[in-house]
Amino acid sequence: MRGPIASGAILLAGMFIFLKFILPMVTAPLPASLIYLYLALTLSGIMIFGTMSASGLESLMGPIFRFLSGKGQSGVGQMARLAVLVLFPLLVGWQTYTRLAPSDLPPAENRTIHPAPPGEFVGLANPYQNNEANINMGKGLYAAYCSPCHGANYDGKGTAAPGFNPPPANFSDPGTIAQLQESYLFWRIKKGGVGLPVEGMPWKSAMPRWEEELSDEFIWKIIMGEYDGAHQSPRTWEEEE
Amino acid sequence: MLNRLKFLSTAIFVGMFGILGFTLVLASDPPPANDSGGSVSVRLYQVEGSLPADDPNSAQWASVPESEFKLAPQVHWKDRIQEVTVKSVKVKGLHDGQNLAILVEYEDPTDDPKDAAAVEFMVGDKKAHFAHGQPMLQVEGGPVNIWFWKKENGKALDMSAKGFKTLTTQEKQDVTATGAWEGGSWKVVFTRALKTEDEQDVQIEPGEWRSVAFAFWDGAVVDGLVKEKGSQKAVSSWWSIRAEPSADNSIFGWVIFGLLLAAGFEMVVVRKLRKGQSA
Repeated sequence: MRGPIASGAILLAGMFIFLKFILPMVTAPLPASLIYLYLALTLSGIMIFGTMSASGLESLMGPIFRFLSGKGQSGVGQMARLAVLVLFPLLVGWQTYTRLAPSDLPPAENRTIHPAPPGEFVGLANPYQNNEANINMGKGLYAAYCSPCHGANYDGKGTAAPGFNPPPANFSDPGTIAQLQESYLFWRIKKGGVGLPVEGMPWKSAMPRWEEELSDEFIWKIIMGEYDGAHQSPRTWEEEE
Repeated sequence: MLNRLKFLSTAIFVGMFGILGFTLVLASDPPPANDSGGSVSVRLYQVEGSLPADDPNSAQWASVPESEFKLAPQVHWKDRIQEVTVKSVKVKGLHDGQNLAILVEYEDPTDDPKDAAAVEFMVGDKKAHFAHGQPMLQVEGGPVNIWFWKKENGKALDMSAKGFKTLTTQEKQDVTATGAWEGGSWKVVFTRALKTEDEQDVQIEPGEWRSVAFAFWDGAVVDGLVKEKGSQKAVSSWWSIRAEPSADNSIFGWVIFGLLLAAGFEMVVVRKLRKGQSA
C-alpha cells in the first residue's frame, strides 16, 4: 500500500518536474523564487490535507515520528536518520552563508523599454502620404542613418549593434514598432535616447537626438520606410477598440 | 499518542527541511549575462601588499579574473564612424584598501603614438549619460570623470565633463597610467587612490557599486590621416564596477550560530518524540 508520505513525495517531485521542465516548453522559464514558492505551497497543502483527520494524521506523521525518534531502528533506517540529522544543520548553515555572503551581482535595473511619450507627441499623424516614392526615400535615409545599429534587415543587428546596452531595437520583432503608433516613433527618433524619461534610463541609450541632424520630413519618411522594410504596420486607435 | 507540541515541532522540522531542500536543489537563477553575452561588471579584487601599479605585464595580473565588454563605434553624435579597430576589451581590477589599479587589455594591430584609452565613471548620485554626461531632456544628469591615457603623452589625464565640448583637464591630477604594446595588443594600467579630496573625481567606496564605461582610439595613420580621433572612437555602454569589501568574518559567526540553533532544535524534537513514544 502506498502511504500518504510516498504520495506526498511523488506529488512534490511531480510538481517540481512540471514547473522546472514541462512548463518552460510553453512559457518563459520560471524564476527559482517562484518555483520555490509553488513547492512550499504544495508542501503546506500536503501537510494540511494529511492532518485533517485523526487517522490521516497518524498515517502521515506516525512514520515520521518513528523515523526521527530512531527507536528500534537498524541498518539502512539508522543510517538514513543519521544523515537527515546531520544534513539539517548543514543546510541551515549553508543557507545562512549564502544569504549573508556579499553578492557579485550589480543591483538589478528594470528598464522600461517603451515608456510613455511626452504629451505633445501623442496622436501626431504622419503628414506625408504613404506612397512608394516617400517609402523609398525613407528607406534610403534609414540605410544611411539607422541601419548601422538597427540593421539593414531592420532586425537590430547592425554592424555597430553588439557593443550597446540596451541593444538597438529589432523592428521586425512584433513586440516593437508594431505595438507603437507613428507618433511614438517620431518622438523617439527626434529626441533620441536623451529624451527618455527616468524609467527608460536615458543615460544608457546611444540613440542620437536626430532633430539636430534631420528635418521632421526626413524623420516621418524614415518611419514609413521602417514599417515597410520591417513588414509591420503602425498601431492605430481603431485597432485598440 | 500524538500530542500537539510533538506534532508542531515535527511539522516545523519537516517543513524547514523541505524548504531548505528545495533551496539546495533550485539554488538560484543563473547570473544575468548581458545581451551580447559579455560581462556586466568589473570586480576590483582586494590584495594584501602592493599593487602592480605601473606594470601592465606584472605576473600579479595573471591570476586576476577578467571581465569582457564588447565595444561599438561612437554613433551617438556627429563625426561618428561605423567601423572601429577595437572590438572588445578585457578588464581586470585590484585594490589594496587605499589604491586601485585597473588593467584594460585590447587588440590593436599597430603601436602608434596617437593610440589612446579612457575609463569613464559617473560622479556623485546623479545619473550621467555615457556620452560625456551630456544633458538629458527629462532627467537631471550629473558629471563624469574620465581617465585618459595616450601613448604619445606617456601619462594619464584626470578629466571631467558634463555635456559636449565641456571636457576639461582637472586642476588636481590624481591618476597615473602606463601602457605596454606587445604582439598586437595594448595593456594599459590605470592607478588612483580609491578616494580623493577632489569632488570632480569618482569616489570608490569598497562594497559600493559605481558605473563605468570605456573608450579606445586606434591612432594609426591611414592615407595621412589619424584613423580614430576625438569623437571617432570605440565605446562601451555603462557597466558596473565595485571594489571588493574587506572580508567580513562575522558571517562565519552567524553560520555557526545557525548550525547550533538547528542542532539544538533537532535535539528538542527527537527528545519530545522519544518521550511521547515511551509514554
